[in-house]
Amino acid sequence: MSAADGTPPLPDPRLGDAALRTASRRGTLALAGREVRRVTRLWSQTILPPVVTAVLFMAVFGGALGGELRQVSGIQYLWFILPGLLITTVTAQAFANASTSLYQARNEGYIDDVLASPLRSAEVVFAYMIGGLYRGWITAALVGACALPFVEGVTNWALALLVLMLTGIIFSALGVITGIWADSFDQQAFVAALIITPLSLLGGVFYNVEELAEPWRTLSKFNPIYYLVDAERAGITGLHESAVWLSVAVAALVAVVVTLWAVRMFRTGRRLRP
Amino acid sequence: MHALEITDLDKVYDDGTRALDGLSLTVRDGGFHGLLGPNGSGKSTLIGIVTGLVRGPVGHVHVFGHDAVADPRRARTLVGLAPQEVHLDRFLSARQVLSFHGRYFGMPTAEANARADELLAAFDLEDKAATRPNRLSGGMRRRLLIARTLVHHPRLAILDEPTAGVDLELRHDLWTYLTRLREEQRTSILLTTHYLEEAEALCDTISMIRDGRIVAEGTVPEIIERFGGPRLEDAYLRVMRGAA
Repeated sequence: MSAADGTPPLPDPRLGDAALRTASRRGTLALAGREVRRVTRLWSQTILPPVVTAVLFMAVFGGALGGELRQVSGIQYLWFILPGLLITTVTAQAFANASTSLYQARNEGYIDDVLASPLRSAEVVFAYMIGGLYRGWITAALVGACALPFVEGVTNWALALLVLMLTGIIFSALGVITGIWADSFDQQAFVAALIITPLSLLGGVFYNVEELAEPWRTLSKFNPIYYLVDAERAGITGLHESAVWLSVAVAALVAVVVTLWAVRMFRTGRRLRP
Repeated sequence: MHALEITDLDKVYDDGTRALDGLSLTVRDGGFHGLLGPNGSGKSTLIGIVTGLVRGPVGHVHVFGHDAVADPRRARTLVGLAPQEVHLDRFLSARQVLSFHGRYFGMPTAEANARADELLAAFDLEDKAATRPNRLSGGMRRRLLIARTLVHHPRLAILDEPTAGVDLELRHDLWTYLTRLREEQRTSILLTTHYLEEAEALCDTISMIRDGRIVAEGTVPEIIERFGGPRLEDAYLRVMRGAA
């Protein structure tokens, strides 16, 4: 440290490249931990409602409505809808967490604590996405745990988990983008209620898209969530309508693109800093 | 090397408002520098640029020799900010607000927790460690905000109106703490305030800002001698009314 008497400055040990890398790792883990803590602390708002909703869907559509609803495409109906419910759950929860948490931090001003820290944009985005992924996956895990005793099992665990992972990444990154973009809770809720939820429910969760009449069958194939549901269904039941590995490859590409988009939005800072 | 060296800094907001207009300012290492000016003169914009909260400035900003625009991570590591508005994470307890802040700046968890306890004691908030910020009084929130500024041992602490709206007792306690901080740890301090007696009591150098430019600077006696006294307030009013 330079002194008033002209003593030459001592290098600050925090400023070496290795020290900065360590600091970045610790800071990112801390922010990700903060996001996970928030989800866990607010479990009655973040975890319980989506689990109850998905279980009710399974109880009503898979259990209470008997007779002709018992089989679709030759498999048990509850088994048929489970993949779509898992995708819908991850989609909604990963998106809601990342967008709400980031928007709240912006709206209440405490995002400045992070913006004034040495964390890089990519590290901050990663930490917020971790919160979304944690909420999406923990709720999906609970929904799956409730359903598994009543279905025939999982045909391809690796594929099923891979699709849930990609879904979580895509929608937590979209949540970050919305959290940066939204100027009000209304805008943020608009995206969730009028875009994410309808696309999820119209993605072939409850029905076989190939059996729909035109133009609904063709229109459904423009819905990106349809491919995620179909790939997840391939993982859990073995049943699918589209080319599964093509769906997975496209989902992976989309995950990379939306994550980079989120990082870029954060880095340019137009909605975060005046 | 200076703690903060700003040269020819311009900032024009998206709506066309020119907040800073060729501003230059230096805070010496170990110095206690006051930045005085009316609301809207550019103080918070200047602080925002130094701390990375305001984007797209034109000009040069160096914190202990590190370019705060081109190499912001190194510069930010050395800066602690107490913003004018008290915004604290309401999902964390007072102790967590401090320890998480330290960890965002790279402190190991155990060290950040120990530092949080030390600062809670220093700012008389020990019995509020588990309380969330939105359940603290205004004075306590302000104290917590200033404690947060210091968690990661910044070499330059920037305090944007830290005593606005706080009672006299707390203001004097804070003066004592800041003076000690500067003397014992040689932390450089940049303080903005509307209380001129505060600047007079604490700062060894002062800059006065008007319309995004520094219009007067020096020690308190130098400013009084140049613009007329007998108090700093008299000189300030002359400067702001355009005598500079």
